[in-house]
Amino acid sequence: MTVAELVDGPLWTVALTVFVAGVAWRLLVLIATGWKRDLSHPRSGSLGGAIRGVVGRFLPSQGMAGRLRLHLVAGYLFHLGLFALLFFAAPHVDFYRDRLFGFDWTPLPHWAFILAAEAAFLGLLMLWLNRVLNPVTRLISESGDHAASVLTFLVMLTGCLALARSHETLRLLHFFVVELFMIYFPFSRLMHSFTFLLSRAAQGAHYGRRGVRV
Amino acid sequence: MPVDMNLFRGFVEQIRQLPAMAQPTDMPDPDRVRAAKAVFADKLDARLASHLDACVHCGVCAEACHYYVQSGDPRYTPIHKLEPLMRYWRREKGPFAWLQRLITRDISEQDLEDWQPLVYDSCTECGRCSFACPQGVDIASMVGVMRQALAKAGLIPAGLRAVEQEQGSRGTVFGVGGEQLMEAVEALRARGYEVPVDKEQAEVLVLSSTLDILLFTDALESTVKVMNHLGVDWSIHTCAFEGANFGMLSGYEEVQKAASERIIREAIGCGARVVIIPECGHAYPAMRWDAANEHGEPLPFDVMAISEFLGREVMAGRLKLKSGQRRPVTYHDPCKIGRHGGIFDEPRAVLEALGLEVREMPVHHEMNYCCGGGAGLFLIDSAKKNRDLGFDLKREQVEATGASSLVTACGSCRLNFLAGADRVHWDRGIESLVELVGEAIDGPGGAS
Repeated sequence: MTVAELVDGPLWTVALTVFVAGVAWRLLVLIATGWKRDLSHPRSGSLGGAIRGVVGRFLPSQGMAGRLRLHLVAGYLFHLGLFALLFFAAPHVDFYRDRLFGFDWTPLPHWAFILAAEAAFLGLLMLWLNRVLNPVTRLISESGDHAASVLTFLVMLTGCLALARSHETLRLLHFFVVELFMIYFPFSRLMHSFTFLLSRAAQGAHYGRRGVRV
Repeated sequence: MPVDMNLFRGFVEQIRQLPAMAQPTDMPDPDRVRAAKAVFADKLDARLASHLDACVHCGVCAEACHYYVQSGDPRYTPIHKLEPLMRYWRREKGPFAWLQRLITRDISEQDLEDWQPLVYDSCTECGRCSFACPQGVDIASMVGVMRQALAKAGLIPAGLRAVEQEQGSRGTVFGVGGEQLMEAVEALRARGYEVPVDKEQAEVLVLSSTLDILLFTDALESTVKVMNHLGVDWSIHTCAFEGANFGMLSGYEEVQKAASERIIREAIGCGARVVIIPECGHAYPAMRWDAANEHGEPLPFDVMAISEFLGREVMAGRLKLKSGQRRPVTYHDPCKIGRHGGIFDEPRAVLEALGLEVREMPVHHEMNYCCGGGAGLFLIDSAKKNRDLGFDLKREQVEATGASSLVTACGSCRLNFLAGADRVHWDRGIESLVELVGEAIDGPGGAS
């Protein structure tokens, strides 16, 4: 078996399996931990609170925007850029059609791809520099946080290198790094891509039943 | 009426003597760790686990914490205060515990000791960080769990422990029990107030607090005045009048439950439909949100903070207040009543009814800054520097409004504001909502 066959075949299967099973297991364990029933009289509904919690947390709380300029700018640049690249980059749309879903959708034009990539790179670098230089994030960050940043950066970098689709080696390199990323994903804080929904909803519901808007 | 500052200083001096009164809580190191872990195991449910799992170590929570904002000390980063809990979750209960055990250090007794000042001296569980977190991580709730774990491990700071031990063993707080309540009641009766005590049947059970008996006596008087003025069928009970719950503040659950059960028993016994909590921040969540869960079933009565009760009466048109001079004031939402309790509109409705001009601070309502001395910090000697930091930030907030007075509905907040004001010779008034209402009532209920 050649390296190309390995990366395109069994390694992809392993990565996809670990990713899907790992994410499912992690969410399952979280939910199976069980919810303590709250016996106090609610002042308001938890469902509305949960929805408000999920949606409302996209914006900074009152009076916080000024203190969080870097987090906001870098956070949105990175996440919006990455989302656009992941789901709307033309090679990715082709990949989803051919290897996963069997259908496609309209990809980003090339100029928008470049814009999204620049935004994502800029955002990620700003966030990582903040992690390394800010005494707060330096204190609370763990090796796993840095590993996630580095892996994400490598995925994006190799993706850009492979963009022209002219060199098979570069495409394979990108695919290989993506597979590593997928295997690492469920064991890391990259899982926040899923768990943020649970956490925000839980907080919104908790305070919602107390009549407090989060 | 302004607080007698000599009385206040004497009270503060008494608090400074508390550590000497605390009983030691010796236990072998492994037992401390085991006790803390047992609390973690019991408290970690899907809600808290989802919070621990979703944190990305972004550091936003630090920017919301009054202690970090004022000091710039990264150790005050709220999520950092949960590190032992986070480690426990990963190693012992998390989805990949088997793997995490290989790479994550276990909790040691030294960790618990190291985290004591972070959990007690530098966090008032105000919850501002929880509301700033983009992931929705409810850090304040989990600091509560950390306190419960440290309490079980015998690591409550001495000053707070002394009062928790007193309430747990004798049911009194600062030596105040039924006898001292009756002295306060008799003093009010001597001034012409009718004060129903230990009635067998009453629709409303009114609680008080040691602070209102020893220091903020006008608050108790005003509460009596309001209840009588409204013609409420009420009573105060000598064996269950204390709203303050030092079990909750210290994290010692048995004491918290016992204090709440005493009130529940009396309320059920006299057929109360409502229990009114005095101006005591943490007493509100202790009864309003926690008590039913400790009791094991929903409570057969409503629990209302006095500020909530007053606001509802004003909003319903049942409580008419004399409008005084229209002067600018600002309202400080006690964290446990506002951010943790949803009571924002009611106190403001009262202030409007009093004819006062309410000016909001730069951040207010859900994002209001804490007074800096809540959650028992006032009883912890080593937390003085942080209390001062909190007050200094709050002072800037108040001064930005141009208001001549700050009004609040929590005795603990008042304590910290008074201490800060005394320290820096602050010229702004520090007033109690219920006392303002008491002064603005005409007709029956008032002293002759």
